[in-house]
Amino acid sequence: MEKAIERQRVLLEHLRPSSSSSHSFEGSLSASACLAGDSAAYQRTSLYGDDVVIVAAHRTALCKSKRGNFKDTYPDDLLAPVLRALIEKTNLNPSEVGDIVVGTVLAPGSQRASECRMSAFYAGFPETVAVRTVNRQCSSGLQAVADVAAAIKAGFYDIGIGAGLESMTTNPMAWEGSVNPAVKKFAQAQNCLLPMGVTSENVAQRFGVSRQEQDQAAVDSHRKAAAATAAGKFKDEIIPVKTKLVDPKTGDETPITVSVDDGIRPSTTLATLGKLKPVFKKDGTTTAGNSSQVSDGAGAVLLMKRSVAMQKGLPVLGVFRTFAAVGVDPAIMGIGPAVAIPAAVKAAGLELDDIDLFEINEAFASQFVYCRNKLGLDAEKINVNGGAMAIGHPLGATGARCVATLLHEMKRRGKDCRFGVVSMCIGTGMGAAAVFERGDGVDELRNARKVEAHGLLSKDAR
Amino acid sequence: MPVFKAPFNGYSVKFSPFYESRLAVATAQNFGILGNGRIHVLELAPGAPGVTESVAFDTADAVYDVCWSESHDSVLIAAIGDGSVKIYDTALPPPSNPIRSFQEHAREVHSVDYNPTRRDSFLTASWDDTVKLWAMDRPASIRTFKEHAYCVYQAVWNPKHGDVFASASGDCTLRIWDVREPGSTMIIPAHDFEILSCDWNKYDDCILATSSVDKTIKVWDVRSYRAPLAVLNGHGYAVRKVKFSPHRRNLMASCSYDMTVCLWDYMVEDALVGRYDHHTEFAVGIDMSVLVEGLMASTGWDELVYIWQQGMDPRAS
Repeated sequence: MEKAIERQRVLLEHLRPSSSSSHSFEGSLSASACLAGDSAAYQRTSLYGDDVVIVAAHRTALCKSKRGNFKDTYPDDLLAPVLRALIEKTNLNPSEVGDIVVGTVLAPGSQRASECRMSAFYAGFPETVAVRTVNRQCSSGLQAVADVAAAIKAGFYDIGIGAGLESMTTNPMAWEGSVNPAVKKFAQAQNCLLPMGVTSENVAQRFGVSRQEQDQAAVDSHRKAAAATAAGKFKDEIIPVKTKLVDPKTGDETPITVSVDDGIRPSTTLATLGKLKPVFKKDGTTTAGNSSQVSDGAGAVLLMKRSVAMQKGLPVLGVFRTFAAVGVDPAIMGIGPAVAIPAAVKAAGLELDDIDLFEINEAFASQFVYCRNKLGLDAEKINVNGGAMAIGHPLGATGARCVATLLHEMKRRGKDCRFGVVSMCIGTGMGAAAVFERGDGVDELRNARKVEAHGLLSKDAR
Repeated sequence: MPVFKAPFNGYSVKFSPFYESRLAVATAQNFGILGNGRIHVLELAPGAPGVTESVAFDTADAVYDVCWSESHDSVLIAAIGDGSVKIYDTALPPPSNPIRSFQEHAREVHSVDYNPTRRDSFLTASWDDTVKLWAMDRPASIRTFKEHAYCVYQAVWNPKHGDVFASASGDCTLRIWDVREPGSTMIIPAHDFEILSCDWNKYDDCILATSSVDKTIKVWDVRSYRAPLAVLNGHGYAVRKVKFSPHRRNLMASCSYDMTVCLWDYMVEDALVGRYDHHTEFAVGIDMSVLVEGLMASTGWDELVYIWQQGMDPRAS
């Protein structure tokens, strides 16, 4: 430390001639503590080699389950194209990937794990690359990304893929077998069995979210999603999927390429939504129009250490800062983001005001509106390209989808958009949130270059 | 023209004397005050406006300067903050680098210069007030020149005489040395403030320039050193480095704590012929290519390395 102080002194002398008289201002020049104080939102000017960064994030289009363009597509055929895209867009050698973690919810665990492993082979990964699944209900995709980030931080590997996959056509929401009667003794456990729509009604009722507000949120979501699609904003993140459509009557197969979300209805208005009947409760407020859509889709995010990304000359999309998952009352599971977002933001050393962009999953308009109001967030910063009510909510894939949408939007917004948050509520009463950072470390000046050999470290490197 | 973003703060940049597309950059973490250093070897892509890193070497302390060997095209020498001088061979696999490490200076080594005429030896200047002479094949330094009373910031060989060099020090003197003589042959009290850099004219072996904390650059003739040939005003803060053009007799470049890079013609009245303000932090490293006329490179604490053709905007790509 003495050495550092001495170096500072020598350099400071260069700026402060010891016997200056001709220019008075120089006398007042001195080294001082950073005026920005201790607010962690300060611009980090040094890049840390051990930051976990995202270098690519892509998704398939999201399509309505059972009726949409993916109704005749195998789930593994949804995941494989996005995994392959990560490799193709970055020219990464697939054998360097340390692990592929896939968030997936509804499918039977072991079968889905096998399908994911098979997907990796379809995508061109060698047998040496490990694959596993993770299930944290609706935040599984985000959990997968967080798990990979944590594993990279822990030093298990330097490069990993966090992905999400859900085909709600193949695996509709259902409970298999009988329910343990013991559940009756535990109110909270019992509430875990509530249909999600009922929890939405609970939120609307308990916190007084009106039907009008909910419908308005749905209209906004469709309007923003339609505008974003029309403006081509999803082009960078969506990977076209070549698949087929089978005519249910004739059995004829038509080959198609899907590259657009098919659930967005630009014509949605308050009037059309107002006519819909509540689904879960007679005098309720939750309708098919102000709930998320049931969809099929997949997404994948390529993470690595910043030092590795720089070595490979890969552009950094964003830095993974923090992640938090917090439990709430299962009867009102939708309030999860209102608890998880502050937790993740605080862990990043930030305040809510520091966040420039949010992707908050719109499971239901009721809980989305509640969370927005509860946290006092600026509506202009949330789901600027629409949310799950318009685009869709393929449970396990949503987290990865939101990361892709958030980071590409942050990239478009440039330097003013430094911190972003992805969050969603989780069935059985939880919320998850993650903070991402762009900023100086992620500017356009990047060192696109080839890697010629391994082991670039010299032998005296510490 | 190409821009390279380094992870650390730039300290020095040098074109290879063998390959027109190659250059080395010395960088240091946390502004060179505390932390590691890294040497980047960059390659300009032919035709394309890109720059690629062919290899990088990490060091335990800041790298303040780097220079290419004049005898081996792949060898470069680094001046390190911990007082060591390290030699790297970019042709060898990185784990076997550095090929030599000399730990003799008691404090930060601030500059290194390879002898361009004899091509067998090099000089290092250090904050321990000394200049040392080294040869590649010797296990230790050949000689230590200890006369300066404060940090020596730079020592540079005369381009014609393989035994003569100049040293610039914070003790406000410029000294001329002949390695065959026991002491310095000339002491020029060139500025009233610290002298941070000096360089010889490449066409007239009697002319050299000094740059100082007093914000000026002075041009000297060693045959009549009582007064400078020229005093160049224009920088707003200490002038960190000065460098004569290898192609034009009167042209020189400088960079300063005022964040600008300036071009000067010391023979004309309006000496300042160009000013570049592309850096957003202290500009501390500058070089002019010997092989491509007008090709310049600069680096600074903004972690950027710019390579551009004189007359163009460094930021234009």
